[in-house]
Amino acid sequence: MTAADLLTVSPLIALTLTAVVVMLAAAFRRSHALALRLTLGGLAATFGTLFVAASRDARAVTLLVSMDAYTLFFIGLLTATTALVAILSYQYLAQLPVQPEEYYVLLLTATLGGVTLVASTHFAAFFLGLEILSVSLYALIAYTARRAAAVEAAVKYLVLAGATSAFLIFGMALVYAETGTMTAAGMRDVVAGLHPGAVVTIIGLVMLLVGVGFKLALVPFHMWTPDVYEGAPAPVTTYVATVSKGAVFALLLRFLLPVSADQGSAVFLALAAVAAASMLAGNLLALRQDNVKRMLAYSSIAHLGYLVVAFLAAGERAGAAVAFYLVAYLTTTVTAFGVVTVLSTADRDADHLLDYRGLGARRPVTAAVFTVALLSLAGLPLTIGFIGKFLIVTAGSGAALWTLVVLLVVTSAVGLYYYTRVIVAMYVRAPEGAQAGRTAPGARAATGAPAVFTLVALTAFLLATGVYPQPLLRLAEHAVSVLPWP
Amino acid sequence: MLSLLWLIPALPAAGSVLLVLFGRRLGRGGTAWVGTGSVSLSAVLALLVCGSFLAAPPAGDAYRQVLWTWFDVGGFAPAIGLHLDAVSIVWVLVITVVGFLIHLYSVEHMERDDGFTRFFIYMDLFVFSMLVLVLADNLLLLYLGWEGVGLCSYLLIAFWQEDAQNVYSGRKAFIVTRVGDTALIAGLFLLFTHYHTLEIGQLMHLVASRSPAPDSGVVLAAGLLLLGGAVGKSAQAPLQTWLPDAMAGPSPVSALIHAATMVTAGVYLIARTNVLYTLAPDARLAVAIVGTVTLLLAGFSALVQRDLKRALAYSTISQIGYMFLALGVSGWEAAVFHFMTHAFFKALLFLAAGVVIVALADEHDIFRMGGLRRELPAVFATFTVGAAALAALPLVTDGFYSKDLIIATSLGSVDGGAWFYVASLIGAFVTGLYSFRLVWLVFFGARRTEVSRRPRWRQLVPLYALAALSVTGGFVWMPAWLGGFEPLRKLLDTALPPAPMEGAAAHFAESVGAALITILVVAAGVGLSYVLWMPRRERTQAFAAAPSVQPLVALWLGGWGFDWFYERVFVRPVKRFAHWARHDLVDHVVGGIAWLNLAGWRGLSAGQNGRLRGYLAVTGLGVVLVLAVVVLR
Amino acid sequence: MAAVSLDHVLALAAVLFAVGFVGLLTRRNLIVVLACIEIMLNAAGLAFVAAGARWGQADGQVMFLFVLAMAAAEVAVGLALAIRFRQAMKSLDVDDADRLRG
Repeated sequence: MTAADLLTVSPLIALTLTAVVVMLAAAFRRSHALALRLTLGGLAATFGTLFVAASRDARAVTLLVSMDAYTLFFIGLLTATTALVAILSYQYLAQLPVQPEEYYVLLLTATLGGVTLVASTHFAAFFLGLEILSVSLYALIAYTARRAAAVEAAVKYLVLAGATSAFLIFGMALVYAETGTMTAAGMRDVVAGLHPGAVVTIIGLVMLLVGVGFKLALVPFHMWTPDVYEGAPAPVTTYVATVSKGAVFALLLRFLLPVSADQGSAVFLALAAVAAASMLAGNLLALRQDNVKRMLAYSSIAHLGYLVVAFLAAGERAGAAVAFYLVAYLTTTVTAFGVVTVLSTADRDADHLLDYRGLGARRPVTAAVFTVALLSLAGLPLTIGFIGKFLIVTAGSGAALWTLVVLLVVTSAVGLYYYTRVIVAMYVRAPEGAQAGRTAPGARAATGAPAVFTLVALTAFLLATGVYPQPLLRLAEHAVSVLPWP
Repeated sequence: MLSLLWLIPALPAAGSVLLVLFGRRLGRGGTAWVGTGSVSLSAVLALLVCGSFLAAPPAGDAYRQVLWTWFDVGGFAPAIGLHLDAVSIVWVLVITVVGFLIHLYSVEHMERDDGFTRFFIYMDLFVFSMLVLVLADNLLLLYLGWEGVGLCSYLLIAFWQEDAQNVYSGRKAFIVTRVGDTALIAGLFLLFTHYHTLEIGQLMHLVASRSPAPDSGVVLAAGLLLLGGAVGKSAQAPLQTWLPDAMAGPSPVSALIHAATMVTAGVYLIARTNVLYTLAPDARLAVAIVGTVTLLLAGFSALVQRDLKRALAYSTISQIGYMFLALGVSGWEAAVFHFMTHAFFKALLFLAAGVVIVALADEHDIFRMGGLRRELPAVFATFTVGAAALAALPLVTDGFYSKDLIIATSLGSVDGGAWFYVASLIGAFVTGLYSFRLVWLVFFGARRTEVSRRPRWRQLVPLYALAALSVTGGFVWMPAWLGGFEPLRKLLDTALPPAPMEGAAAHFAESVGAALITILVVAAGVGLSYVLWMPRRERTQAFAAAPSVQPLVALWLGGWGFDWFYERVFVRPVKRFAHWARHDLVDHVVGGIAWLNLAGWRGLSAGQNGRLRGYLAVTGLGVVLVLAVVVLR
Repeated sequence: MAAVSLDHVLALAAVLFAVGFVGLLTRRNLIVVLACIEIMLNAAGLAFVAAGARWGQADGQVMFLFVLAMAAAEVAVGLALAIRFRQAMKSLDVDDADRLRG
């Protein structure tokens, strides 16, 4: 690696340095505000180095990573999301009896893992990135360790993540054993040239998908999702729902791009079945969920199903749809869980439907933000969610994936029910004298001006992009254009 | 002047946003000014723009203003563009002018309500959405407006949200129209896949130039799907069940949304895409049948309603049935004319009803009203004008001109026929019957409830204005035997094809003779209503309560049992399934798999299976299944 | 001495992997569960070593080193979690962690 290479990977370096600096700062002086400021500063610096990396010519650095436009687009998305999560976490953590500084370190290392995933072009980087992300998440999920729910959620996540990682590695080993390649380019060739006789390779690919499927919470690897979403502290749930899924999906596109070309291939069928099951199960399981976090967990399963449909549609336009929908999904999810975070108190998260009853009267701004986020998840026009879904349906129709597209439309319609349930609950006036939800009287929620401001800004983004999506669309198209489309 | 077109929808939108941001600080007075002012400015602009259009019609009798490209995906680049022609002029003027009058009325009507600001936010948002709907130059943007008005309708129906029943009515409206919306979006996709454009002008041109074969199946399917959407939004059979329940909202909402504008969106859609229906006779027939069935169904239901607003709601459904009937027999222009006159008198009726209800301290039951003729003289006068227009009293009401035109078209058009003609006459008879039933029961007879609040100028001026429009609105299209002064028809000819009136039937339909038949039928209806409900109302009531008659009355009261049917066939099974699926379905599967695993692996500790292990088991089973599928292909 | 064939090593790895997975499904003690995960990870690592040997590259063994390091990190966190688990549930029985459901 030369000095020039160092400049190319400067985003990764910046991020690592930030994590180290925050850790050291905590050692010298414990200050929540300082930790947050250093985190945000570091993330901003990382965002800045994207432009440095963009100006380089040679983008591949060693076999392991490639800092092309695709990578840089997603690094930007992930760092922005992490910054948003950090801002939303501040007030939430401030009222808990935990030491908050290490939280930011873990957040940064998790993001580092995610960024590595996005940049990776080799199994080694893939594996490393995934594990850095996972291990950081184990600790993050259990951060509020005094709550039994958090510990339970973390244990479940750890065991399942560990097991599926083992599947992943075994799968990688099988593929390597059969084909001798561990690079993304090699993988693409393998997938493109896959014939039914290569049983061991196929088994390897499927096992690889097990590891990926777990992280993406696709059926049948989704069982952890509602429990972990419910048990983890709200901002961590936000992170798990967004960054970890986004990073893995971006990697999926790079490694398995040619899957969409052959609609009869084994891997294609497997993914199609997974997508269909995810859309169905996700939307049906959410139908009468009274726990808002669990409902959003099931809905995220469905959304990843939609994304897989877009992934299965061949062509560059489908790739742009995937990138666009990832942005839409990430921003909307941060907004939705952000509301949950902001309404949470020291003793419990605001996860029950009763906590939202009458919110429209008590806190109209927050209620309006949540309404927009839920409508965007439902895919109503004027929101970014509608454009995203429209793009996926267009891509899917273009590739003649009729069953999947019909399933998408039908399950989306089903989804409208449970989203409007929450909206209705917010605007029905709470009965006289009733406590807001089950919160102890006098408990203060984790609302701070920065958090609310962030949420409002996000809402404005959701609506603005719903009306004028061209810039983002262009950016997404540019990002996926560097991938080798057939 | 025409370039200011975009301001017409933008002003109410701006008003809504302003109220969201500063509503609390503005207080009631400020809110009223912003809320009503934005719509009034929009109305003034609309008059100016339309006046400019009429004075100097642009090329092709249409004006197009593209604001920006919404998004660009592989060649499909719908624009945010506005299109103004004769049809949209009529709708824009009605929406803004009638909308302004209703907003003015609302300032006084809602003055004691806590949600004053919230009301105007939603109302302005609604006006914006509706204007987007009628000014959109492509079907996708139209759909956006379509969704917007649906959302605002839901918000406003459920406006008094303390009462859960109102919220359920709002949700019912949302869901029932959603069924129609699904058909609409399917139709849009069909059209797009086939013609690769959703820009209305281009689309209609392509459809026309490529017909008849091989497109005829597509055109028919698209026509029927769009009809499905229209049926939902316009509350026609079989999706009409939401409108009577929508009366849970405040009266201005019923006037604006559920009488004058939103429910006519379906009519607008079909009028706009008339090329599809011209080329697909079966779709056209479907439209006409839907209209005819609905106008009769709703008419009879209106006859037995006790709730004043519900009666008017069924009346609206019935009148829109007339518009659909007109569309179905290729009487495009007649439908537009009836839309305009209906907007005037129905809004008037709802606003007057609102005054009555508030005056009697929220009394809705007409059998507990009565004798209000002297207590609320202005309301009595204007309500009667409205009822007269609804009943199509000859010559002096606008309803007469438009309804007679539809009746004539139903007979004389090439697509018309005796059945349609007879049905529309029966409908006219029933309309006369129920509209004056309301007048006699509410304003005559003994006073049952005392008047506690009287209307002031903000409520009275709109009533007078709408009454004036209800009288004079018909003079823009007089029939041939009265002189044939028809500037409206000449205007609409620039955008719509004329109705194909040919043959002896048409000759008769356009003559004085046919008009006299209509007049007689109407007079009979009004006369019978006087007989039944004026001097002998007790006997009529007793008659209606008689055991042999009661089932029929109950049937009409319940809207011919549509709600009952839907509840049993659709709602209950879905609720039952959702309740069953409430617990994680896969939990049951997990238990089974875990048991299988333990039984399979005998010799190892067989304890109680916990959740985590169950999750692992499912993962394992999942892997095995996928592998099996993949490897064994 | 004849070299061990790839298939045999892979078979061994598969058997170890299965043993680990079955252990995960059947054992209730959290520490044992963590140990089973270790078995699975090491089995996968073994498969990598075999694969590397098949192609005559060091890559397989390098990957195994990565796996080892990652497994160590995971177990460290896992054991810390086990302590917390014991404090919260008063036992190390994994089946006790069933309060989050539905």
